Amino acid sequence: MKEQALAQLIKTGIQGTDISEQDIRQDIARAKTYPFSAYAVDTPYLRLAKELLSGTGILLTAPVSYPLGGVTLETRLDQIAFALRVGADEINPSLNFNAVKSGDFATVLDEIHQMVDAAGDELDVIVIPQFYILTNEEKLRLCETILAGGVSSIKTNGHGSLCRPEDVSLVRREFGDAFSIEASGGIRTTKQAIDLLNAGANFIHTSTAYSVLEDTEKD
Amino acid sequence: MSKLDRKTLASLIDHTELRVDASYGDIRRLCLEASDHGFASVVVYPVNVPLTARLLKDTPVKVTTVVGFPTGAFTIEGKAFEIRDAIAKGAQEIDFVINVGALKAGNHELVRDEMQTMARAAGNLVTKAILETCYLSDDEKRAACRIATQAGIRFVKTSTGFGSHGATVEDVKLLHSAVGKDMGVKASGGIRTTRDALTMVDAGASRLGTSSGVAIVEGLAR
Repeated sequence: MKEQALAQLIKTGIQGTDISEQDIRQDIARAKTYPFSAYAVDTPYLRLAKELLSGTGILLTAPVSYPLGGVTLETRLDQIAFALRVGADEINPSLNFNAVKSGDFATVLDEIHQMVDAAGDELDVIVIPQFYILTNEEKLRLCETILAGGVSSIKTNGHGSLCRPEDVSLVRREFGDAFSIEASGGIRTTKQAIDLLNAGANFIHTSTAYSVLEDTEKD
Repeated sequence: MSKLDRKTLASLIDHTELRVDASYGDIRRLCLEASDHGFASVVVYPVNVPLTARLLKDTPVKVTTVVGFPTGAFTIEGKAFEIRDAIAKGAQEIDFVINVGALKAGNHELVRDEMQTMARAAGNLVTKAILETCYLSDDEKRAACRIATQAGIRFVKTSTGFGSHGATVEDVKLLHSAVGKDMGVKASGGIRTTRDALTMVDAGASRLGTSSGVAIVEGLAR
């Protein structure tokens, strides 16, 4: 696959405990030379990233309840309001996983409705169902809930877990083209990315975009 | 090694349930165990604070929640919002993760500003600053402790439990000597056995964060 073609399907960024402003400046300086789809940073750095990415065509992704999803609905809405203020293009909310694992899909649905309302027309909403902690039955039930909530984009996992082609093909098999799927979690190589795209993913999320581009054909 | 009785050891424990895939049933069990054993508090995600507060209403067990968790990579205003929201829902102790990236970049002004804002948002409730020691040099640990003592924080806490490692004896000793006698040290992350717990107490910990509290106190002779 050609490098530029794969780069356009990659959403990247650096997030995490020990990331500094300097790390973000250095990474964006390199990232902006590629036609990546989107770039994510943690909330303290959103304004900086917005400024540094301006004019590149790379979308700015704001995290919400990232990565573990344990915050209250009010906090999610506060983070969405912040994403709007800084001019982000899309948000990646993790969901209320305690509710999911308790079979409380009514609460999950209500929270999705409220987040969608808060995001309005300005922010694309891509929810994180966190597949690696779910049984197949829970994955499907949660995907139905996500659709019912008015969201049609998912990012399979948050930080720290492996995305498998089977997860992507499960969603395609059961839901056809209803979802845009951003495969995410432990994607480090070109082969992994291509296998996931072949399984039906629309985008690849990786924090190591350059290793994922390594085995592509350079222009 | 310390000779504590079960009741005293239990009173040092923050009984913790921070698994992403925990259910409401797990929270109920956590609260039951905490009130049966006399733990200091339970630690839950903010989203579980209302249920927890309701279940522990008529007990001395406090409700602790985590803020800016686990990365600490959130705006100060965002963390302050989380604290006020959690308190409104019944949280009584706040364990917040500091902005580790800012500390490591030497931005002590931001770290101080954040700690002061956290203490103010929490009012007179107990605040614990999670340093996430696995990322820090000894100098960085000492700097964070110094800032915490000046900011009105009540405890420094070693770890989130989601980093590369949790509390070590060396870290607890370092934190204990750095904060002096008016602040506490909470050791957390990887504390699983009675021996682990007593070792941390000997090193200077006055609070223990663990999900193994029941095994820890039951491993002690009455």
